[in-house]
Amino acid sequence: MDSQNPCEGEISLNQWKGGNSVREVRHGSRGGDLEMLGLSQKEIGDDDARLVYLNEPVKSNERYEFSGNSIRTSKYSAFSFLPRNLFRQFHRVAYIYFLIIAVLNQLPQLAVFGRGASIMPLAFVLSVTAVKDAYEDWRRHRSDRVENNRLAWVLVDDQFQQKKWKDIQVGEIIRIQTNETLPCDMVLLSTSEPTGVAYVQTVNLDGESNLKTRYAKQETLPRIPEKEMINGLIKCERPNRNIYGFQANMEIEGKRLSLGPSNILLRGCELKNTAWAIGVAVYCGRETKAMLNSSGASSKRSQLETLMNFETIILSVFLIVLCSIVSICAAVWLRRRRDELDILPFYRRKDFAHGDPKDFNYYGWGLEIFFTFLMSVIVFQIMIPISLYISMELVRVGQAYFMIRDMILYDEDSNSRFQCRSLNINEDLGQIKYVFSDKTGTLTENKMEFQRASIWGVDYSDGRTSSQNDPVQGSKIDGKILQPKMKVKVDPQLLELSRRGKDTKGAKNVHDFFLALAACNTIVPLVVDDRLDSTVKLLDYQGESPDEQALAYAAAAYGFMLTERTSGHIIISIQGERQRFNVLGLHEFDSDRKRMSVILGCPDKTVKVFVKGADTSMFSVIDRSLNTNIIHATEAHLQTYSSMGLRTLVIGIRELNNSEFEQWHLEFEAASTAIIGRAALLRKVASNVENSLTILGASAIEDKLQQGVPEAIESLRTAGIKVWVLTGDKQETAISIGYSSKLLTSKMTSIIINSNSKESSRKSLEDALVASKKLMIVSGTTHNTGPSDEAAVNPVALIIDGTSLVYILDSELEEQLFELASRCSVVLCCRVAPLQKAGIVSLVKNRTRDMTLSIGDGANDVSMIQMADVGVGISGREGQQAVMASDFAMGQFRFLVPLLLVHGHWNYQRMGYMILYNFYRNAVFVLILFWYVLFTSFSLTTAITEWSSMLYSIIYTALPTIVVGILDKDLSRRTLLKYPQLYGAGHRREAYNSKLFWLTMIDTLWQSVAVFFIPLYAYWASTIDGSSIGDLWTLAVVILVNLHLAMDIIRWSWISHAVIWGSIIATFICVIIIDSVPIFAGYWAIFHVAKTELFWLCLLAIVAAALIPRFVVKFLYQYYSPCDIQIAREAEKFGSPRESPNTKIETNPILGSPHG
Amino acid sequence: MELVVAASTSTDSALVRTIPIHSPRRHRRNAAFSEFKQQNLPACKPVLKPAYVITTFLLIGFFFIPVGLVTLRASRTVVEIVDRYDAECVPEPFRADKVSFIKDISLSKNCSRILKVRKHMKAPIYIYYQLDNYYQNHRRYVKSRSDQQLLHGLKSKDTSSCNPEESNNGLPIVPCGLIAWSLFNDTYTLIRGTEKLSINRKKIAWESDRNSKFGKQVYPFNFQNGTLIGGGKLDPKIPLSDQEDLIVWMRTAALPSFRKLYGRIEEDLEADDVIVVHLMNNYNTYSFGGKKKLVLSTSSWLGGRNDFLGVSYIFVGGSSVILSIVFMLLHMKNSR
Repeated sequence: MDSQNPCEGEISLNQWKGGNSVREVRHGSRGGDLEMLGLSQKEIGDDDARLVYLNEPVKSNERYEFSGNSIRTSKYSAFSFLPRNLFRQFHRVAYIYFLIIAVLNQLPQLAVFGRGASIMPLAFVLSVTAVKDAYEDWRRHRSDRVENNRLAWVLVDDQFQQKKWKDIQVGEIIRIQTNETLPCDMVLLSTSEPTGVAYVQTVNLDGESNLKTRYAKQETLPRIPEKEMINGLIKCERPNRNIYGFQANMEIEGKRLSLGPSNILLRGCELKNTAWAIGVAVYCGRETKAMLNSSGASSKRSQLETLMNFETIILSVFLIVLCSIVSICAAVWLRRRRDELDILPFYRRKDFAHGDPKDFNYYGWGLEIFFTFLMSVIVFQIMIPISLYISMELVRVGQAYFMIRDMILYDEDSNSRFQCRSLNINEDLGQIKYVFSDKTGTLTENKMEFQRASIWGVDYSDGRTSSQNDPVQGSKIDGKILQPKMKVKVDPQLLELSRRGKDTKGAKNVHDFFLALAACNTIVPLVVDDRLDSTVKLLDYQGESPDEQALAYAAAAYGFMLTERTSGHIIISIQGERQRFNVLGLHEFDSDRKRMSVILGCPDKTVKVFVKGADTSMFSVIDRSLNTNIIHATEAHLQTYSSMGLRTLVIGIRELNNSEFEQWHLEFEAASTAIIGRAALLRKVASNVENSLTILGASAIEDKLQQGVPEAIESLRTAGIKVWVLTGDKQETAISIGYSSKLLTSKMTSIIINSNSKESSRKSLEDALVASKKLMIVSGTTHNTGPSDEAAVNPVALIIDGTSLVYILDSELEEQLFELASRCSVVLCCRVAPLQKAGIVSLVKNRTRDMTLSIGDGANDVSMIQMADVGVGISGREGQQAVMASDFAMGQFRFLVPLLLVHGHWNYQRMGYMILYNFYRNAVFVLILFWYVLFTSFSLTTAITEWSSMLYSIIYTALPTIVVGILDKDLSRRTLLKYPQLYGAGHRREAYNSKLFWLTMIDTLWQSVAVFFIPLYAYWASTIDGSSIGDLWTLAVVILVNLHLAMDIIRWSWISHAVIWGSIIATFICVIIIDSVPIFAGYWAIFHVAKTELFWLCLLAIVAAALIPRFVVKFLYQYYSPCDIQIAREAEKFGSPRESPNTKIETNPILGSPHG
Repeated sequence: MELVVAASTSTDSALVRTIPIHSPRRHRRNAAFSEFKQQNLPACKPVLKPAYVITTFLLIGFFFIPVGLVTLRASRTVVEIVDRYDAECVPEPFRADKVSFIKDISLSKNCSRILKVRKHMKAPIYIYYQLDNYYQNHRRYVKSRSDQQLLHGLKSKDTSSCNPEESNNGLPIVPCGLIAWSLFNDTYTLIRGTEKLSINRKKIAWESDRNSKFGKQVYPFNFQNGTLIGGGKLDPKIPLSDQEDLIVWMRTAALPSFRKLYGRIEEDLEADDVIVVHLMNNYNTYSFGGKKKLVLSTSSWLGGRNDFLGVSYIFVGGSSVILSIVFMLLHMKNSR
């Protein structure tokens, strides 16, 4: 009987995640699978299939070009590096801009700069990136080589021989030993276990460390490949990246078997607890599911960058305006002097050298103007701060380094560091307005603990004591005492009852209840040695659902110890007595039934169905005519349990008589061997047998809150962040978790929407809106300070369930829901499916400019993590899918607080300032060039040497802004955590907005005027030469922009000192070097000019005159209209905040400052 | 103790592991690095307190105003005689068409000007010529030179940047390019009373240019031989490094109004001295409306006469003082 493998196609065993809480978890992916299943129900056509001939790699590979097993994660080879790397780099707009400018400059008519100088910036950036890429690729090459040269045992000439991984081909038969890693995806043929079971650990694949069971087909089991030829053909689907799906048929000796995901071992998995396994390779190398899944995270763009693009467009307009002014002036100049130009000493249009005078380098008035325009674009190119994009990337890498290294974000329990998977959105962390959180595994630990039981209408929950090491409980194995690995607290009364056997009616029910807990699961018990006590062996329950583990451990604590699971039976040691139960059938959990069942052949020859599942689904299949008061009592208990935030499961039993069993057996056999519609058939069989059950009782499991969650939620709320919890749990559980996590407080008015039709949803939404408005008016009259007060004064919580959302999302009601939700400070959505989670996120994301963040840990959160502006994955117990899809990953929910309030705030402030500063830095330089052009008859001469122009944004001013962008901190970590409302600066876009942009631009204009015109008038009609005054301008502008930055640095560490003063010194050195080359026009100019006092007086005057207005405005702002950050900074420095009417920090939290 | 430790770390790394005394040092380094990683480096966090700001502005004021006054005084001590002669040095009949006058080689370009010294002028007195509305910084002009050729002469072949004054009659021009071609060639002779004032025309160019930029073995060749004469001619027997007028001229001016050093008078001029200038008005600025001026100027530590910087210093200093007073008043009135 193929009872081990009843549910092929219907996802692997890990779907079952515990009844009541309904881990809607993988419903999303399940939906996808079902669809796929629907499609592949039909025979896999020869065109779509790959045919693999067993042990005939040559034949398998002759028709199709299957890829070999060597993998290549590296991107380049030694020869292809240069062209491919350049090609990839030029995918960036910034580099193309650079390139176009450089190419334009190569045209002789437009050659403003020399060849070398014009290519230098581009070459510099390209080579830095190329070196970085080359290094990374070299490391990939190295790891590829190691991976490809690993050895595996492959059947060659009827013998298993060692072969390098890269030489493995599709169709070859491979033997894997225990603890070895699988070299490719292979269909399992046989294993060391007589039942054909193999255990694998998929930690490399999806991060789940528990063991998964895989099965070999009965038909292939007895074969020993060395001795007898296996001939067969596997027809399987094309390579795809679905690691939970596999569809294939195997023809062996005329028999046709169907294969599902439980028959395949995937590359990267490790074989565990199985001496050996033999399989046939079906997908190799890059076609394996592991490789197909190893693609990087999708890239997102930060909001700041999007905003910045607008300002970049403004700057482009500036650039065009400047260029147009120059061209128009040049046009007028040329026009007015058209008669003089021929022999004008400084123009000389005509060339008289060769007989007839002809035009020299002059292409007519119109073209000259056009060329002037293009040349001015070349000269003013850095108006568009291309270097900013590169600096931003560097800064983000630096910020990421500090986030990763932050000890506070390090999770000791799971030994996991913070991960930055996306390097584009660091600064978005400082502007989050909405947090969408998953509940289980995110707010809670997903570490289940059995807490209470209601058996036959009696609630057992008092007098909890720790489970004793009672010898009666322990079963012996190899002379050693067997104990469950995890201790569970037990109720003494219940323990007493459980030990009494089946004597009384009550005791029998208790017996059946625990038997159900021990048997009705998919747990694999493993026996491990106890490190402390050599006389004791520990039982480790490996299972994919933490709920099941908790229940199994609980059963063990009460003396019902599951000790062994093999293909057809389980052994349960009941109060020390080993009993064997035949597992006749197992109906897996699925989202429609929301329950699972197991059919056991008991030692007393009876056949029983044990069913456990969510209360809603269970009460519909329980025979309500029997034991009515028991049912009522249980229902009451369930109510109590859920209100305490416990996850509940209802357990039912039914004895099958012979005819019933026979009928079920036939149907089950038929269904599990069916090729078409197997999943649906199995579901039908299950619902037929899960019927007219007798209630046994209910269990309650505590899903423990993660450490620090209530405090974290409190902080987030104070920071003005709206926290929405989206959970698959039922309403009562969700609400109770809401209370225990301080998400909901008694002060709140809650609005609950439970509807089951579109009309009723509409109505309840309208009512809720009216109600919420009323609440606002009430609070509005008492506190008429502004709209933002209301939420704080009379907070409203919205609780809505998945069914209502079905009718609301994607309909015109969305608008109303959004309006309502935006009035509420807390929104709790329960019973939501993964796609609905994404729907809710997009509901908010599409309607506001506020930033959204999703945080979750499971595969069910992937869609919402990808939907939100920022996705955070919790690297928890539920595998790595969420982490893989996320932008940032961390170990605990509470890390969200330092991540957002501290790092997010810093990153946002730094990046905002850095963008403004870079705009300023480049614009001031361009304006200086522009002013000079006005004094050179619009001919685009630059007094500043071309080398200095190019080095300006590479050496002279690049490092300080990057270092400040990485290191400067406006406030200390302590202050930011103490006053979460400081986070509001990000919400109000205080660090970067168009007002600041325009202020900066006005400042830029003034500073450029100061830099340019002070030397101009000081040296007017003097003997000054172009190079000398150019050096003065160069040094002046560099000192100015560095001091400007110095003025805005908040924390001066030695690094800031080093880079600021270092940059100024480096500039002097560079200017000296440039002026020491005799063939440059500016030879020795700096030495001549620096000997004069006038030079130094000019420098000083420039710096003072340029910076004073900014200093004054800055001081006035900070002193007379300080923002929260400024107040907090002074509080930090002087101990207590100033006494000021503006100091709202302590009196009025949540509120933003009025100066936003 | 510390010394020993340091020596052993540098010489024998094995010792580091065995001698426990090293651990505190390591620790310190690790601690410093960890402070860096946790972004807790010691730092100074200046905050703009009103007192600091007011003091800063007062200090700026107290520094800038005296400096401004000193600068202004230095500028005022400079005695300067400026005489624009381009218009008046064209004889009356030619005033209507100055260009044809200047182009006509047969006409005498002699011209006499009378300058009156108003104040005592202390030696050395610099003689400059000043050109206005002359764009020596025009891009076509600035680029039209070959620094290689100036240094190496005919040995340097790539002189394409000199066009359209690269070659003439198939022969290369040394020095090539528009700048050299348009060499200024007015000459001045100064007479006080009856005696001719000696003008020192040596060392008027930068020493660095003479030594390293203009070849000592490079002689003018085929220069100013074309159909269009742009300016002065050069003595082909004198190497470029000694052609100081050319060197001065080739250090192109930054601004459209500029002075170039012509020479120095190394004796004092007394107040009320009358100086007669005999000049050769050769250079053509008439075709584009450029002005020519002769300037006699003493010098100070600041250079020539220019009040701008002194005034700006006083202005900046004054504003600072005013700002500090305003802040002080505001602070007293509305102390937070």
